[in-house]
Amino acid sequence: MKLTRRQALAGAAAGALGATGVYELVDRLAGSSPKRVAAGALPPEQHVLDGLRVITDNGVEVTLPPLHHQVVTAHVAVDRADLRDAQRALEAALAKLDATYVPTPIGLGVTVAWGLPYFERFVPAQWRGHAPFDRRARKPALLPTRAFPSDPAGTSLERNDVAILLRSDSIAHIADGAKVIDGVGVFRVTSIRKGFVGGGLPKKMAQAAGIPGADLIPDGAELFLGFTSTQSQGLGPRKIVNLETLGYAELGPASYFREGTHMHVSHVSEDLEAWYLNFDFQQRIDTAFRPHLRVPAGTQTVRQSPADVANAASVARDFRTARTIGHSTAIQTSSRLQADHVAEDGTVYRKGTAIPHRADFNTLDNPFFWPDDPAAAPQAGVHFVVFNPTSDDFHRNRLAMDGVLPDGTRLPFQPRQRGQGFNDVLRTTHRQNFLVPPRRHRAFPLAEL
Amino acid sequence: MIRVWTGIALAAAAVSLSGCGGKAAAAKPGTPAAHCSAAARASWQRLANRIHAPVYCPGWLPDPLTGVIGSRDNNIHSVSSDRSYLESWIWQETGAGAAGGELHVNLRGYPGRTTVPRCRDADNNQPIPCFADPRGTKRFGSIVTTLYTVNQDADQWHVAYGWRYHGSFFTLSEHVAPPLTYAKVVQYLDREMRSLELIAPR
Repeated sequence: MKLTRRQALAGAAAGALGATGVYELVDRLAGSSPKRVAAGALPPEQHVLDGLRVITDNGVEVTLPPLHHQVVTAHVAVDRADLRDAQRALEAALAKLDATYVPTPIGLGVTVAWGLPYFERFVPAQWRGHAPFDRRARKPALLPTRAFPSDPAGTSLERNDVAILLRSDSIAHIADGAKVIDGVGVFRVTSIRKGFVGGGLPKKMAQAAGIPGADLIPDGAELFLGFTSTQSQGLGPRKIVNLETLGYAELGPASYFREGTHMHVSHVSEDLEAWYLNFDFQQRIDTAFRPHLRVPAGTQTVRQSPADVANAASVARDFRTARTIGHSTAIQTSSRLQADHVAEDGTVYRKGTAIPHRADFNTLDNPFFWPDDPAAAPQAGVHFVVFNPTSDDFHRNRLAMDGVLPDGTRLPFQPRQRGQGFNDVLRTTHRQNFLVPPRRHRAFPLAEL
Repeated sequence: MIRVWTGIALAAAAVSLSGCGGKAAAAKPGTPAAHCSAAARASWQRLANRIHAPVYCPGWLPDPLTGVIGSRDNNIHSVSSDRSYLESWIWQETGAGAAGGELHVNLRGYPGRTTVPRCRDADNNQPIPCFADPRGTKRFGSIVTTLYTVNQDADQWHVAYGWRYHGSFFTLSEHVAPPLTYAKVVQYLDREMRSLELIAPR
């Protein structure tokens, strides 16, 4: 029997879902997985991953994400008429995974997020009735994917129907999770993206893969660029990114998406030689955090507490004096609460509290694990995965990174100008926004209506 | 970011390398140290005599670089009023992938000073060290070098070794650019360091 191209691709994708490639080295290089704390029952939110351990580094609390990460993007491979059956089948598969693995790094974290193409093509009428609306932005909470000023001209704005995020300390659990979901037969995989997180792994993995500049990565660094990004105070509290928590979103008559959130996925390549050969340590601190910030040489974990938070005025002032903005401080102008907030459940979120939940991970994909380009060598990069309450909230963060601040200030940067620090060595290849339904509606949301 | 030098290096390279062809042969690191050729020694002796200070003649540079001051590949021969000097050799081949590449080696000396010289930050004109981000030391015979990875001006995007001798500061740097990676450049620099010969002024 002769396979069609689509069938051949599907077969190759199925094989790649369970393959480990260079990431098999993660377990060998990481040694034992970090000790994890026990977790309770499944939370109603898909994006919440409990059981993360917190350690102290340089006097700063740091959250340890799972070692292994994988994102699978796909198109829906069933007709609209079969959506209810597909919904039941997918939910059964996800429930099976829930029964097999605890929802923590010891087991498996699964997050199923849906793109605008799914809602508009498969459930357009239901979507019109239940789509959350961002009242602050006066726009839908899930916006079409857009490019940003520092994006290269060729950045692909993707239109996948679905993205599935798998997180675990066990690469075998991730492979099993991906196979179980693929086995339902309701998706046509468009990409598989793999990677890892863990102190010291970026250098070891980059050296193993022969990445140019690998030797320049500091020993013990959590990220290829040499700093720690999972300071606990730089990550949003458990429920802050829920659509309903900060009151940004109107949830509609049935609050269908309550306890859901927004997820942005992008792939960003990183030029390590450009970073480490053109920015000395102080300049890397200046552009990663804040100009003129003094920390001991070699520091990787820099405190990001609410008391350290910058505002638009201070970022603009730094730019006037140093012609540089710090990546963290620029983003803080929109990623931190500008005032105390009392959520509807009575939880008080203090001014300066971080909002986004980061779930990004280091990768050697170029740009994806699958489909792979045989001519493309492994490349240092990050699959940037982040949860924000709405698309607009993510867009505000990302624009601030480019010097477009939430108070309307536009710092006069040229695209990827050196003073933008990180942006100078980053190249975003792909982007897409997704909506993460609550766990109860994670399979083909709205199809049952 | 595009890999560029400062204007002076680029302009000099363009002039000195027009019509230059030929592929660079990859030399095997770890091979025995070569000796400064007669032609190179003579040219470095003239420099030592001119500045009344010792200089280091390279016995080995990656092919096709010669290390001879005044040769076609010696794109910068600069001596300042304070007797500091910059000698630079470059080879370039345009073309995509393996068809293109560049080799660029700088040797500097700062007679009478042992501190790392200061340069100007191109973004804000603030003074900054010309050689920064030290990453440990390494001994080559009697020379103890410091490895610098963030360097300025004609040494921008180079990896550099810096060392002191008899009250002077010396550097040897090489550009990290295809076909060389950072790791390969360090291998080349090690071989170049092992090949240096001290030339005293007469």
